[in-house]
Amino acid sequence: MERLIDSGLEELTVMVFKMGGVAEKALSVSINSFIEGKDYSKNVHELSEILVNRTVEVEEKSFGLIAKYQPVASDLRIINSYMKVAYDFERFGRYAWDISFVATRFNAKNSKCDEWIFEYIRKMAEQVLQMVQVSINTLRRLDPDLVKNMTEQENEVDKAYFDFLDKLVEQASITNECTVSSVLVVRYLERIADHAMHIMEAVVYVATGEKVTLR
Amino acid sequence: MRAKFGKVEVLKGINLKFPENKVTAIMGPSGCGKTTLIRCLNRIHELTPNAKVEGEVILDGQNIYSPQIDPVAIRRRIGMVFQKANPFPTMSIYDNAVAGLKLNGVRDKNRLGELAEKSLRMAFLWDEVKNDLKKPGTALSGGQQQRLCIARALAVEPEVILMDEPCSALDPTATAKVEESIVQLKKEFTVIIVTHNLQQAARISDYTAFMYLGKLEEFGETTDVFEKPKNELTEKYITGKFG
Repeated sequence: MERLIDSGLEELTVMVFKMGGVAEKALSVSINSFIEGKDYSKNVHELSEILVNRTVEVEEKSFGLIAKYQPVASDLRIINSYMKVAYDFERFGRYAWDISFVATRFNAKNSKCDEWIFEYIRKMAEQVLQMVQVSINTLRRLDPDLVKNMTEQENEVDKAYFDFLDKLVEQASITNECTVSSVLVVRYLERIADHAMHIMEAVVYVATGEKVTLR
Repeated sequence: MRAKFGKVEVLKGINLKFPENKVTAIMGPSGCGKTTLIRCLNRIHELTPNAKVEGEVILDGQNIYSPQIDPVAIRRRIGMVFQKANPFPTMSIYDNAVAGLKLNGVRDKNRLGELAEKSLRMAFLWDEVKNDLKKPGTALSGGQQQRLCIARALAVEPEVILMDEPCSALDPTATAKVEESIVQLKKEFTVIIVTHNLQQAARISDYTAFMYLGKLEEFGETTDVFEKPKNELTEKYITGKFG
């Protein structure tokens, strides 16, 4: 039997899933802009703005469903979690914009950064993007089993962040622009990984009712 | 506890502890045995022809179904408010409030006056009727009549108040007042309320029991039952995915 709230929940779900696609695109474009030394900041800014607006829409939709249907149990958990997830996607967009801003402002590619820095960031970005994809898949399938091993991946990203700082300090030859831009990007990647974990925690809560900390 | 009407078993082995000075809501689909359960708790069930009860109800360490227990005395300690407000039609507001006290032999006018005011205050009705105590109870609005019935139940100073859908016939404003009084009542009484209104159960109760086909399927803290029910039947019932 179709319930009155079902169509509203479906709309909300579609809105959040679409945000996932936009967020993933914004991140991959921004990381490419840094690594390739190209200016995609306008494009990423547009995607980021879409995510900001969608977050407001998800919040409004959620409040409407709460006011109209007084949801409980799994319905309430879905609404509560999707509001949080929408915010996490908005943060993805914001960090993507930050990365593309750094790429444009400091143009690391032309600042004669050592190749190992690009390689390091490329590798770290791959891992973070994979976490983002897992978080989006977990959300789409509402399958908490997919989050297995993610805590280790998140720990690896954290370690990569600190290792990078140590390595930079040891490398006195690199330019100031390169230092500033690479530290910022690595920091943003670390934060993006954190938000991917938030999304996975929200999915576990929707599916099981348990509030877990995976980080 | 098991309860039957003739050969039909309505309660199929319920075991439940109602926490003291808390509001416990009992919810479940029609015919699941909610009303029978609370009617067993103060032995009103046995007044129905062919009704039978097996089991025990322990109040203050004493089984209220023991042969030496007077059911009338038990009903004074475990009061009841019914679905439809039922003030005595020929009595004034005041006389309605003290009816139970008079039946229990209280004659002192000062004492009656004190307890009438106290119970009407606890039912959140005093301010609305204090200048009209001689008016008939039936002259009040539906919500006021229900609160008068609550006051009447409280006047005899019971330990437990049973409520069977007390707001089902009331508008939202009157419901809000009755709910406010129920939440206040738990400071002095243990309240057990049967309700079909899930939001009401969520708003006013500390614990919630979910019954289905004469069995207790889930019992727990209300916030847990409404946020993450353990039983799939509870989840289906409260989210409207039932049958």
